[in-house]
Amino acid sequence: MESSNRKIGIREYMAIAFLTVGTKLSDDTPTLLVSETLTAGWIAALLTGIISIVPVLLMIKVLSVHKGKNFYEVLIFLFGKLIGNLIAMVLLLIAFSALIIDSAIYTDIIDTMYFTTTPAIVIYGVLMLVCTFGAKKGLEQIGSVAWLLLFYIKITLFIVLLYAWQGGRPSFIFPLWGGGKGQIIKAGITKVSLFADFLYFGMIAPLVTSFKSFKKGTWIALAVVTIELTAAVMAYTILLDYTTLRLINYPFHEAIRNINIGFLTNVEMLFFPFWLLATFIRFSFYLYIVTMLFGFIFKIKQFSYVLPVVATLVVFIGIAPEAPTFTIFQLRETLLTIVSPVYIGVPCLMWITSKIKGGTENEKKMEKN
Amino acid sequence: MFKKLKKIFVSNEKKQEEPNPNNSKEKELKESSIKRQVDANISLLKEIYNVPENLDVKFRNVTVGGSSQKCCLIFISTISNVPMLEDNVIKPLVNNKEQQKRVPHILTVSNIRYAADFKTALLEINRGNAILIADGEDTAFIIESANFKSRGIEQVQNEVIVKGPKEAFTESAGTNISLLRKRLKNENMVVESVKISERSGNEVAMLYVKNLANEQLIGKVRNRLQSLSADAIQNLPLLEQYLEDRKISLFPTILYTERPDRAASFIEDGHIVLVMDNSPDSLIMPATFWSFFHTPEEHYLRFPFGNFTRALRITALFISIFASAIYVAITNYHSEMIPADLLLAIASTRERVPFPIIVEILMMEMAFELIREAGLRVPSPIGPTIGIVGALILGQAAVEANIISPVVIIVVALGGLTSFAVSDISLNFTVRLTRFLFILASGAFGIYGMTAFFIVGIFYMVSISSFGVPYLSPMSPKYKSSNDTIFRRLLENEKFRPGYLKPKDIKKKGNEA
Amino acid sequence: MKKRWRKIKLLLVSVTLLLAGCWDQRELEERAYVIAIGLEKAGDKEEDKGQVKVTYLIANPEVGTQASGGASDEPPQETLTIPASDFINSRNIANVVIGKEISYDLLRTILVSEELARDQHFLRLIYNANKDREVKRSTQLIISKESASEYFKNNKPTLETRPHKFYELMLQRGIETGLIPNSEIRSFFRITEADASLFTAAYTSSEQKPDYENRDDEFIAGELPVSGEINKTQFIGSAVFKEGQMIGKLTGEETRLTGLLRLEQDVTDILTTLPDPGDGKYRISVRINKYKKNKVDMDLKSFPPKINVVVPMRIEVLSDPSLTNYGGSEKQRNKLRNFFTKKFEEKFNGLVQKSQDEFKGDLFGWSIYARKKFKTIKEYNDFNWMESFPKAEIDIKADISFGEFGRQPRVPKMYEVKD
Repeated sequence: MESSNRKIGIREYMAIAFLTVGTKLSDDTPTLLVSETLTAGWIAALLTGIISIVPVLLMIKVLSVHKGKNFYEVLIFLFGKLIGNLIAMVLLLIAFSALIIDSAIYTDIIDTMYFTTTPAIVIYGVLMLVCTFGAKKGLEQIGSVAWLLLFYIKITLFIVLLYAWQGGRPSFIFPLWGGGKGQIIKAGITKVSLFADFLYFGMIAPLVTSFKSFKKGTWIALAVVTIELTAAVMAYTILLDYTTLRLINYPFHEAIRNINIGFLTNVEMLFFPFWLLATFIRFSFYLYIVTMLFGFIFKIKQFSYVLPVVATLVVFIGIAPEAPTFTIFQLRETLLTIVSPVYIGVPCLMWITSKIKGGTENEKKMEKN
Repeated sequence: MFKKLKKIFVSNEKKQEEPNPNNSKEKELKESSIKRQVDANISLLKEIYNVPENLDVKFRNVTVGGSSQKCCLIFISTISNVPMLEDNVIKPLVNNKEQQKRVPHILTVSNIRYAADFKTALLEINRGNAILIADGEDTAFIIESANFKSRGIEQVQNEVIVKGPKEAFTESAGTNISLLRKRLKNENMVVESVKISERSGNEVAMLYVKNLANEQLIGKVRNRLQSLSADAIQNLPLLEQYLEDRKISLFPTILYTERPDRAASFIEDGHIVLVMDNSPDSLIMPATFWSFFHTPEEHYLRFPFGNFTRALRITALFISIFASAIYVAITNYHSEMIPADLLLAIASTRERVPFPIIVEILMMEMAFELIREAGLRVPSPIGPTIGIVGALILGQAAVEANIISPVVIIVVALGGLTSFAVSDISLNFTVRLTRFLFILASGAFGIYGMTAFFIVGIFYMVSISSFGVPYLSPMSPKYKSSNDTIFRRLLENEKFRPGYLKPKDIKKKGNEA
Repeated sequence: MKKRWRKIKLLLVSVTLLLAGCWDQRELEERAYVIAIGLEKAGDKEEDKGQVKVTYLIANPEVGTQASGGASDEPPQETLTIPASDFINSRNIANVVIGKEISYDLLRTILVSEELARDQHFLRLIYNANKDREVKRSTQLIISKESASEYFKNNKPTLETRPHKFYELMLQRGIETGLIPNSEIRSFFRITEADASLFTAAYTSSEQKPDYENRDDEFIAGELPVSGEINKTQFIGSAVFKEGQMIGKLTGEETRLTGLLRLEQDVTDILTTLPDPGDGKYRISVRINKYKKNKVDMDLKSFPPKINVVVPMRIEVLSDPSLTNYGGSEKQRNKLRNFFTKKFEEKFNGLVQKSQDEFKGDLFGWSIYARKKFKTIKEYNDFNWMESFPKAEIDIKADISFGEFGRQPRVPKMYEVKD
């Protein structure tokens, strides 16, 4: 991956953002949002997107001052080696556990919904094998693949949502405030880390053709993904009603089982491959980011060599929990709640430090320019 | 296997390095310059050419009329234009009356070049030219008289199209270049000759438009050609394999075509085309996936028809790769997808078939490939008969004997037939081979395996490049271009040369109006 | 050297994957396709409480195909009944008598005997359908009058020899004509979980006890006198479920009326007769088409809550037995409209009364409209639709417009013909 010095364009960057964050609507995220807010899950989804504007804005502000540096380098610059590395370590830990928990969830989806008798470790192994291959090819390739397949993945998603809207009853989203306004705000704030991926996109900021593209791409991605997630939660509520929705873990897969297209009664296998494609791309990128961050912290230049080790580690930790459907579900909820303050806090901290420390330097720079 | 082959190669190289007494003597002779005495030269050349035994090397001694200067004309009669030599060389020499005239002034040929040493002279003789040596001259005169026998320009055989030009390249490089020059009447088109092999002296002509093609690209191709160290590279298909980056990859990275119109249009876009003697074809580089996917006909047909063909071809490509694999995956892993009547029908036909579905499919696929290969080799008069026997009788009998279920025949035949819609021979093989890989993947993990394999394939495809050009560009990574990928645009809208070639002039001026 | 190692490793990985794969792999012909599952009570004894008898209706794939060599004298279907604790573990027990693996791929119907459906343990049993991956959410839940094993024994369709076709077509057509409700198992779960409305399932019977008193669609399965050489199984009427337990039945007519009052528009082809206002002896054939959604107004703040519903219907008059020529004049049309409106409103309000008094619940799924009136789920749950509905004041209006009056709009005057 180091050999390719080419940068990724705005299309590829956006495609990665769409697929990594957007795919969350097809796992247990909607259930997490709905469990307390009931019919108002979609408002909570919208709220998380809106709250996310703050950290994303601050991150872009900070990065725009240090163009050409990635998130890690900015951290080191702002906080010095010790604290900077410490924060980076925390971020790495979060990314790594998110990778493990999320991939375990996706394995669980495949295992419980589609391949019931295949051992989870085999499914996990294949998943990680493919993602390691993808991550090893490099960011440019991940971006290209994401862009090439984005259209088809989103089209099928659109069809699913359309059928869900059509097959369900719009009145199911009433009462409008569901579990109550307090619950909505609570869910919106604790689950805001759904969009924490955007923080990690800061790592690849210098690899996007221009900072302008990065900025534009980030905003478009945030907007689209928020709308997507909102529409999806709405569609699931309409199709399944909140009573059923909060009982099931993977509403997307439940929804595609409920779709009939003409004479075809079981079409989930038509949508499954596209969902899988998104999954593979998503975890390829996560793997890439985790090893990249790892490489930066521990000063490993050829960080692609670490990939197989990381992937193996993920499989063995991810496979460990018993009754994954429940354990991991709870783990993820806990993780999301823990990460939320970090997601909001770190960019704030960076921005403030940047203002205090870099204020004078930047003014000098401005004068020069 | 690889190891053994490698050993053989290595040992061959070693043998060559050992000094051979015969060779070194000959080498010395070749290095020497041409002498002023004709007789000495003649005896030397006779020795080199083994003359009494070697039948078609002719030595014609002439005494120039008027000056009585002794001359000798040396040529290989089978590859030279003998009547021309008689008329324009021997006749003027013999009939000459003036004493003072030097030999070159007497000859009535269009072009005379000079060779100072034997090495050059020999090379020219081998190329079909005649050498005239004269007493008192320390250079040999080269008279262009090459006349290799070759086919006339014929119709295209493999890349058949209905609408558009029908001419094909022939085995003569000169003719091929002339076919290209006919299409590109442009003073900037350069025909550069590069020698690519030592012993057989094969040469390849590199064609490009000087003020379009990227300098770096030209340099890259030229370097690659010059750095080849093979004794003989007879023709382009062999050269293609020497030039490729990834030699065992399933994906071709150099486009091979027998159509001059196609080659010409690529030259116009800033690509480089290689033409060579003995090859009724040309190599185009760099090549993207799309160039293998396209045929020229789609641009000759009107816009909707051309795109309809494209849509058919992309469908055919997918059916061909996935049909059998999807059948295996669905019947083995996801049978709930099949509509009830069909499911029962398949189950009932399989009731007496002794093999698992994947074995059945693999058997049938193998049979289809065998029939196809055999059909290609059988003499043409009985070809069609074999095809019918193979396809109809074998299939029918296999079904009746409960070896194969009829649905499998439909699936495999569909996949096999649609593969013919992919006209490029290399891509065709790619499709046929990946099909087997997909069948195995779906046999192991159903749709999951297929999708996993598919994304690995896509990751691999985006990582390939042909002479530095990403394989799937301009789709991704995005470049400024005419966007002629799966579908083509209106001709007026195809304004740009492909940006991934970094041409010197990206805009096609003709369309500005 | 390194490269070769990589190749070998790659080869090893792929070979292991190939050999190790195939866990979920099943050959098609090695499975027995269950078309319908029948559930009934194992017995009344104390030790039988948790037990049920599971009946499988298995299709024979070889019947009805043109493939050569298929033995055509085999029966098209096969039934077997086994005692089990649920229909998940019964799959293995069935293998005691069947060589093939039991597959629910083609399972589209779950038939429950009325006796079991009325049992309080029924909900616990049927919830297994939610757990099993192979049971589709669109499976139809139908209730049979007799025991399930009896039902399958009697039911021998003659024209649709392939059993899945029979159930598919019977249910599909039944839903279109409105004589049975669309009773997908997912709505059963949804309605039971929401605990606000009543669920109706299709009602069927393979035994005939003709009831000649009734006319037209005022029957329930088993009562319609049918003669001829046809299979005697009937699908008409519905079984009413409250909180996952069957509590009552509706006739074909009531089922149709329920269909008209509900939000869904599954019912597309209602042909029925109404009394002729011109001459009480005759009945007019009409086609009823609900062309848009009902208008539902609610006032839930007051006590008792008030609900007003307007049912828009387009009626095509297909016969004119009294030869009155209703389509001919405005006056006649209005007369007919008023008569029909009165008739329908009578019937609608009667059904609502039945729903409120007899079933003590909402047959029509109006809780959905009610949800709009609340701000949060808590308020809505506190209101408790299930409890409040029976107390509500409900008024139903029919809004009738006429479509065509048959192919030939005018009829001759009776006296003209008689002359």
